[in-house]
Amino acid sequence: MSLAPLTEEVVRPAEDVLPDVPWVTIVWNDPVNLMSYVTYVLQQHFGYGRAKAEKLMMQVHVEGRAVVANGTREAMEADTEALHGYGLWATFQKDA
Amino acid sequence: MAKAFRRSGRGADRRYVATLDADEREVVATVMDQVHDLLEPPDAPGTGDAAFDDLVAGLDLGGGPTTPADEGPRDPALDRLLPPAHREDPEAAQEFRRLTEGGLRHRKASALSASATLLRLEDRVTLDADQARSFLTALTDVRLVLGERLGLRTDEDLELLEQVAGSLADDDPLLHALALYDFLTWLQETLADALLRG
Repeated sequence: MSLAPLTEEVVRPAEDVLPDVPWVTIVWNDPVNLMSYVTYVLQQHFGYGRAKAEKLMMQVHVEGRAVVANGTREAMEADTEALHGYGLWATFQKDA
Repeated sequence: MAKAFRRSGRGADRRYVATLDADEREVVATVMDQVHDLLEPPDAPGTGDAAFDDLVAGLDLGGGPTTPADEGPRDPALDRLLPPAHREDPEAAQEFRRLTEGGLRHRKASALSASATLLRLEDRVTLDADQARSFLTALTDVRLVLGERLGLRTDEDLELLEQVAGSLADDDPLLHALALYDFLTWLQETLADALLRG
């Protein structure tokens, strides 16, 4: 992700994603998408609060990827399609 | 000199307003048209639009093959706009693409076309909330394609490119592409910030 002025929040693992659901949607880091934009998309599409969206965005930026949602395969495919609509680099897969 | 996007008004009257001069507006609208044409080529059945035929194609972002996934080489910029949706299962990725690509191409192309039209109205670019959301995504898609053409693969590449740029001739097309990329980044950042504030 591109650097953008952003001073808030810290990085913590995404432990608040629901367990025991077999499919996940992952957002991968890319050099073009802005940190502010990724935060905005996660808030818009998933309805996440600012803090959670920024935490996931920072995880993408620092670790190269983050699980942003989990659920059924159909739901993860729908999330992936929507995120591609926003221009994010998203994939879905069975949770490892 | 361009003025950044900012919020104005409240509730249903909320607007996102920037000021760009005619040259700036036309450059951004033109690259939006080019990415539109990459997604929905003007000569493809059902997508013809005479207005696009008259446009200047200075930076030629649209070049390269635009064939569907299973018909030979695909423009790498299309893979940035429509990336593989599964990393370990090519069949699942292909099936996903078969089901989603047409709709995604059309939605992106519509946002790009609507945004280019808004840019061509007047120096004071005024967007309502829906238009702002489309405009933000259109800017993303243009930056993804331009970033691909500039060879941006990692977070460090832009910085490396900026360093190289210092030793390029004034008329090197790479300098123009970099300047445009930086301008689009700035514009998008200000709109994303304004939208994040509500």
